[in-house]
Amino acid sequence: MPQFDFANVFLPQFVWLVGFFALLYFGIVKLTLPKLGKVIDTREGKVRSDILGAEAAKAESDKMAADYAAGIAAARDDARAVLTAAKAKSAKSVETKLAKAGGKTDAMIDDAETRIAAARGAAMGEIEAVAAEAAQAIVTKLTGLQPAKSDAQAAVKSAMAA
Amino acid sequence: MSGPMEQFQIKVLRPIEANGYDLSFTNSSLWMAIALGVVAIFMFVGTMRPQLVPGRWQAAVEYLYDFVRNMVDETVGPEGKRFAPLIFSVFIFVLACNLLGLIPWVGAFTPTSHIAVTLGLAAIVFGIVCIVGFALHGFKFFKLFWPAGSGVLLGAFVFVIEFLSFLSRPFTLAIRLFANMTAGHVLLKVFGTFVVTLGSFQALPYVFGVLPLAVNVALAALEVLIAVVQAYVFALLASLYLNDAINLH
Repeated sequence: MPQFDFANVFLPQFVWLVGFFALLYFGIVKLTLPKLGKVIDTREGKVRSDILGAEAAKAESDKMAADYAAGIAAARDDARAVLTAAKAKSAKSVETKLAKAGGKTDAMIDDAETRIAAARGAAMGEIEAVAAEAAQAIVTKLTGLQPAKSDAQAAVKSAMAA
Repeated sequence: MSGPMEQFQIKVLRPIEANGYDLSFTNSSLWMAIALGVVAIFMFVGTMRPQLVPGRWQAAVEYLYDFVRNMVDETVGPEGKRFAPLIFSVFIFVLACNLLGLIPWVGAFTPTSHIAVTLGLAAIVFGIVCIVGFALHGFKFFKLFWPAGSGVLLGAFVFVIEFLSFLSRPFTLAIRLFANMTAGHVLLKVFGTFVVTLGSFQALPYVFGVLPLAVNVALAALEVLIAVVQAYVFALLASLYLNDAINLH
């Protein structure tokens, strides 16, 4: 095998290999890979920052959604409170109005009753006077005697009281 | 017809001699140079205008670099990051030599089928491992060979074995790659010879050549696989040895 002809084959290959490998490492790989490494690092950084940004945006939107839900809940509570208050107020005002109207009616009823009583008294007095005159006239016609007005009146009174 | 070993013959293309040493530019050197040129084109085009969203070339280079970086990260850990370019160089050099040597017709020579080249690469790796080990740990680097928590006698015995196995590493590393490459190319050549000899059978020309040809097609695919796998194994073992030097145990 030519590979084992060390005396003739080894040294030139070894020397060229070392030279070429040094050239490869310092002249090619060292000049190119760091550029690539930088780009890869930048890309990783960008991806990481993008993910962080997205996470922050998501947290913000979550917060906004929570705020919104809380706002809705608060508004609903407010509306309910306002509704309750309005209901209570309207009930109260109806009550007072009813009470006021009731008082007025009572007064009117009382007034009417006193007037009725007065009218009845007046009517009674007139009836008595008319009855007394009628009794006087009847007695006069029957007996020809004219009874005194006061007697007639007293007789009417006792008759009516009975 | 040429024998199966003739493809490994070193041919001097330009004789160079310095101080009585033979440093000739040979076909091996030529194909190392071609591999270097291909790698250079690949790397420089791929990183010409690095962009956040990579183009095809950049994506290809990044894919290889990521592959090596992950391998180094898994075997060595975070301290191995600065050695990723070195392991990458080893990987891509072996890969380029292995693959380019498989090109038919053009008289391709596979530098990695020569133990001089593989041993040279292994020596580079071994030298770097030793330098890194002693630079990081000083003489504590020898603790790598000492089994933790054992007696002096047993410890010394294991130390000798471990030390010898450590010294044999560059040779096993070199011979693995060299043997794989050589065996593959010999097989291809042997079956290629079968194609010619059986195909030129007098009574039924071309008929019997088909079978070894089919075998050769399958072998060629297998050799491409082996070329990649051996480059990977070489780089993986290099990073494992580096891990020993950096993290001891």
